[in-house]
Amino acid sequence: MVKYVLKRLASSVVTLAIVITIVFVLLRQMPVEGYFDNFEKLSEAQINAKLANLGLTQPIHVQLRNFFVNLFHGDLGTSSRYSAGTSIASIIAQKAPLSIWMGLMSMAISLVMGIPLGAAMARSKSGFWDKFGTVFIVFINAVPAAVYYIFIQMYGTGWMGISMLFDRGNWVTWILPVFSMSLGSTASYAMWIRRYMLDEMNKDYVRLARAKGVSSRRIMMGHVFRNAFVPMIQYIPASILYTVSGSIYIESLYSVPGMGGLLVDVIGRQDNPMVQALVMLYSAIGIVGLLLGDLLMGVIDPRISFVKKEGAR
Amino acid sequence: MNGLFEHKKRRLEEGVTAAVRGDLPPVDEDGLFVEAGYDAAAAEKTGYSNYSYWRSTVGAFFHNRVAVAMLIVLALLMGFTIIQPFLPGQYEANTINNNPVTGIQLQNQSPSLTTVYAAAPQGIVLIGRRVNDDWYAVSNVLASIRARETITVVEYGEDWCKIEYGGLEGYVKNNFQTKLKLPDDPTATPYESRSSFPLSIYQEPVDYTNNGEALYVRAGSVRELEDGAVITTGETELRTIPSDKAFVFGTNNIGQDLWARVWSGTRTSLMIGFVVAFFEALIGIMVGIVWGYVRALDRFITEVYNVLDNIPNTIILILISYIMRPGIRTLIFAMSLTRWLGMARFIRNQIVIIRDRDYNLASRCLGTGTGRIMVRNLLPYLISVIMLRMALAIPGAIGSEVFITYIGLGLSVDTPSLGNLINEGRKLITSASLRYQLIFPAIVLSVITISFYIIGNAFADAADPKNHL
Repeated sequence: MVKYVLKRLASSVVTLAIVITIVFVLLRQMPVEGYFDNFEKLSEAQINAKLANLGLTQPIHVQLRNFFVNLFHGDLGTSSRYSAGTSIASIIAQKAPLSIWMGLMSMAISLVMGIPLGAAMARSKSGFWDKFGTVFIVFINAVPAAVYYIFIQMYGTGWMGISMLFDRGNWVTWILPVFSMSLGSTASYAMWIRRYMLDEMNKDYVRLARAKGVSSRRIMMGHVFRNAFVPMIQYIPASILYTVSGSIYIESLYSVPGMGGLLVDVIGRQDNPMVQALVMLYSAIGIVGLLLGDLLMGVIDPRISFVKKEGAR
Repeated sequence: MNGLFEHKKRRLEEGVTAAVRGDLPPVDEDGLFVEAGYDAAAAEKTGYSNYSYWRSTVGAFFHNRVAVAMLIVLALLMGFTIIQPFLPGQYEANTINNNPVTGIQLQNQSPSLTTVYAAAPQGIVLIGRRVNDDWYAVSNVLASIRARETITVVEYGEDWCKIEYGGLEGYVKNNFQTKLKLPDDPTATPYESRSSFPLSIYQEPVDYTNNGEALYVRAGSVRELEDGAVITTGETELRTIPSDKAFVFGTNNIGQDLWARVWSGTRTSLMIGFVVAFFEALIGIMVGIVWGYVRALDRFITEVYNVLDNIPNTIILILISYIMRPGIRTLIFAMSLTRWLGMARFIRNQIVIIRDRDYNLASRCLGTGTGRIMVRNLLPYLISVIMLRMALAIPGAIGSEVFITYIGLGLSVDTPSLGNLINEGRKLITSASLRYQLIFPAIVLSVITISFYIIGNAFADAADPKNHL
């Protein structure tokens, strides 16, 4: 177990380092305008002075080394255009809490809506809930999120008689963004719970329990559901971590001052250091989320063995 | 089913009753068994199955009525998308349409199937002037009155009031806006009144204008009278613009025809979808087969896969689009860069499962080359899955295109795509009357993505031999 964890950890760190290096090198291929507020007005000497000041005239491997050294000290660099001169870490620290709150709320909603929906679908195979849930899942999976987000905003705000924009102090304006955000995961929770439950329902132990005379409700809740939920646990740490990145669509649609809208903002303003820092942060979240999910699975599900089976392949 | 049981039950009952009574029919011992003889054709039949994988797959697919309906819708839609530019009376997607008379852009024209606004009977006199060889601009407004001017109402009516003003005699609209007052004594006409809004004086109690704007008639359907008047020579169509070609989906805020843009955008988006699906299949299959079949490379490719799979796809998409010049090629490149991973892993797993089956061993023993085994023995097994993934790649690619355009890294508006049409429409959602500019592209996009999704899934179900009868 310990050996597996260490190996998994090491490979995550290596992956992260590779990703950061790739992102870093790629972003150095960008035009240098992204580092200036008033590029057109500057003379060549001024530009060179600024670039030298930022350390961009050094060879790329030196820049990369400096970047990693700074990263170890928790320094992500400073913004160049979005909020010139401010440290990126402080911008993130200021923006992230709101995104995390919204993300956690929407995650709670999608668990509360998605899991009962999936369970109802599994129980009423080709009944009303199954049909309703299938239509919902197909719609949410097939139609790009941007489209139904925009329609929810357009008609939802009109129907509720509120402003289209988010206001942190007014709780009513939280409803639509959080609800919209939860739809995607609701559909996927419902889909997976249904699939896992149907798989479980065909197993022998369920038949045995039924033969013993255990009530249908107890079989569903006590056996099928509990076993079906185990594979879902894998995704929970990643979902929690992803709340940090916020929803790009939702935050820019409702002007939520969080992390998701930030990425769109900094891309629009070509703030290279910020794009770099955010992209790296998002990759790190993804990688760590997967790692935690795998580890959690191993802890919870005793069937998963970390010892490599010899001769299996 | 129930009837069958009833029937059997009855026969059993009758038999038992007969046996108990003892009046069983005499048994013909010789007639009980007859030698069947040997029939070569019948023997052949038992060993023959007319099962065909593809026929069963297609058959199972056509049992799914929703999927078949979606297939028809999609086929019609795609067919129309292709022939649309060759149909008569189409606008160009990027042409900015101006009113040829006023030279003003035809901005935000509401969707309409026809340019005909109203019809006028024969012999109607209108105020009109020739605008070019083919068209006259006409209206029946004599003059307009500024707000709060005193007018003389000659005859009061619910909808139209006959009035006199500055020597002109005509009709004005009486509605919730103009709100002309009833006289205190209904018989006391004429009386003086005023409106708090500007008024137009019409020749007749009919409105032959497009909300105050001039309407257009064909030069052939009117005859010119003196001092700027024309008379209709027959039943005449009054049109909102001097053209027969309607803006079916309306126009956008610079006067481009939304109908043409939506179909042009559908072509772009579908093209991106198909090309991405093709590259996904191509790269995914090549890597997957090598990965699964060549044991020496398995470890290496698995490690590379683990690294690549750990990078969030969105990030790669954003990063590539940010670094490269925006355009169709960039989008296709960025999407193809990530999508093949899933395909490769799937193919690899399938290959691992089937590569050591007996027929492959036999092939190898007969000295068939690795390449030939891959293409002839392994690939046919994977076709259905490959087609499923390609079908799902298309809605995926369209969704990614919408996303990239949304964050400002997509195609420019000169290249209409469903993504940038939706993004343009999104900016107008605060104004209810302009929402059609979002709704039309959104509907087309949803129909396409939902159809591909349902067809892909139905096909995957149909292709699964477990579902074959």
